[in-house]
Amino acid sequence: MTSKRNEPASSPAVETHELWKTFGEGETAVHAVENVSVTIGSGEFVALCGPSGSGKTTLVNLIGGLTDPTRGQVLVDGRDVGAMSERQRAQLRLDRIGFVFQAYNLLPVLTALENAEFPLMLRGVHRDERREEVSKLFKHIGLGGLEDRRPGTLSGGQQQRVAVARAVLGAPALILADEPTANLDTQASDALLEVMEILNQERGVTFIFCTHDPRVMRRARRIIRLVDGHVERDAEKESGNLPSWVLEPVET
Amino acid sequence: MMERWLLITRIALRNLRRQLRRSSLTASAMVLGIGFLMFIRALEGGAHLMYVETATRMGTGHIAMEHPDYMGSQDLMDRIAASDLKRAHQAVEETARPEELVAAFPQVNVGGLAQSASSSIPVRISGVDPELEGDVSFFADKMVEGRYLEPGDRLEAIVGVAVAERLRLELGSRLVLMAAGAGGELESQLVLVTGLFRTGVPEVDRGVVQLPITTAREWLELEDDATSMSVILASDERTGQIAAAVRDRLEESGVGTDRIAVRPWWEAMPDLYAGLRADAVQTYVMLVILLGIVALAVVNSILMAVLNRTREFGVMRALGLNRLSVGAMVMVEGVILTLASGLAGMLLGLAVSLGLFRDGVDISWLFGGDLAFAGAIVEPVISPAILTVDVVAILSIVMAIGILATLYPAWHATRIEPAEAMKTDE
Repeated sequence: MTSKRNEPASSPAVETHELWKTFGEGETAVHAVENVSVTIGSGEFVALCGPSGSGKTTLVNLIGGLTDPTRGQVLVDGRDVGAMSERQRAQLRLDRIGFVFQAYNLLPVLTALENAEFPLMLRGVHRDERREEVSKLFKHIGLGGLEDRRPGTLSGGQQQRVAVARAVLGAPALILADEPTANLDTQASDALLEVMEILNQERGVTFIFCTHDPRVMRRARRIIRLVDGHVERDAEKESGNLPSWVLEPVET
Repeated sequence: MMERWLLITRIALRNLRRQLRRSSLTASAMVLGIGFLMFIRALEGGAHLMYVETATRMGTGHIAMEHPDYMGSQDLMDRIAASDLKRAHQAVEETARPEELVAAFPQVNVGGLAQSASSSIPVRISGVDPELEGDVSFFADKMVEGRYLEPGDRLEAIVGVAVAERLRLELGSRLVLMAAGAGGELESQLVLVTGLFRTGVPEVDRGVVQLPITTAREWLELEDDATSMSVILASDERTGQIAAAVRDRLEESGVGTDRIAVRPWWEAMPDLYAGLRADAVQTYVMLVILLGIVALAVVNSILMAVLNRTREFGVMRALGLNRLSVGAMVMVEGVILTLASGLAGMLLGLAVSLGLFRDGVDISWLFGGDLAFAGAIVEPVISPAILTVDVVAILSIVMAIGILATLYPAWHATRIEPAEAMKTDE
């Protein structure tokens, strides 16, 4: 982990204005995200919940600039992602955003250490500095000694921790995590969430999770519930409590 | 930037290793193809060196010096004066290093008639210096009866086997040569057949007579003049340079190109040169076609590798790798594969050419009798020769094909959208 702390930004970490994402055309068109306007401040720890297909992953992809909105605007650190060139977007992701995916998505030809340091290498961080940061973090999250192992030889929990290490190294301002605990047991999930909470509290990193996992939602301080692509509920909460509406079935 | 390239190269190399079976199959097609072509080209190169060697030793030399108009007129009026011959000889000795210069000798070449008791035929009559030319003359090696000319000979002459046949000549037969002398009058000279040669080149065997240059000069009233001066070099590497330097040196000493034309063998024997060029071009066309087919295997292999890793490319893009870098990664993969295969293929070609067939390849079974190529004789055993120009050309073609074959898969990889890619199973 770096010693840098993310300074509170003057603009919100993320803003979306009347954001739409439609797949298909005409009668077969599906609105995965429908008129979503949210503002997420710097240092927030937000859970996006909702049933499968409610648009959580699409919203996170839109925020990360991985896909283009059909309509509307996404601002990250006050910068309009839609107005950026492909190269600028890649640079934004590299410099400011960390991703944790549900399926780990580690690169099989790289070792655990090389996977974790991938974004740092792209940024041109010197080898010694990279290795020091990775080994410190690996020890901290229980991956010490596994540096040279390939992803295929690691357990699901270990792989997800490598993926988290990859996302948090270099102290991005924003981490987008899509179902990070979906494939983990309770113990591994708690360990992972603890690391994330520490990063959030000590370093002011903004977290946005897509999740079905009550353990994640309990730790979140704000929960946004999406249903059919639009925001149904958006509420702040005390850590530990879980409002009843979070797990309510969708009315048909 | 350096770190990024290191990362790109590392991933490319490991992906090649990861797809070891597919990479090896593609690589082996290239290795065998390039190895085979390298060997064919080495054989051809060896044969070409031999053609040049024999053609130059048949009298033209690596560098031929003549009066500029002689090539067209074949008239003794267009000859080199004795004083100019001396300067030409000096210029050669001053220009070529001693170890490069094998021989430099004058010749008198003239068209005429050869008449025996039974018949007469048109022939090319060459006055040669047995002392200067004896060690390097191709004819000296090709005597089938009698002997080659020797220093001190006067009336002795050697003739092609077909000349002897047509004129019913035997060793010791008398032969009358007729040609226009320097004064324009028809002059005749009696000679005795002292040897018969068979070069394998039909037009030479049925139309050449050689006699001592001293006799030819007297007979044709040439004093110490000659129609040409031939220079034989130890190797063909610096022929062009030496020819140019001799030309400059002659100009400096007042003998301009209006008096002596200095021509490297490829200008003096344009038919042979054109034949060799056409032969090489044909091989290169075959090389490009064969490698083009191999390139399809490279396209297939790399494209499959890209399609199988759509998800991984999506992840890398999500992590901040831009399109250009993704394309570069695929290009590096393809170029490493082709370049490594290309080098291995060349090594195979070298090993086969210089190891397995070091003593040459006997091609006599291919051709019944003698084989001539654009006026040069082909020996039945060809020693492969690897030329630097071929190595550079083949490597360049391999590189170009590697780059071209990888362009499409690389372009395809740059079009991968991260969000879509991460939904796939690949």
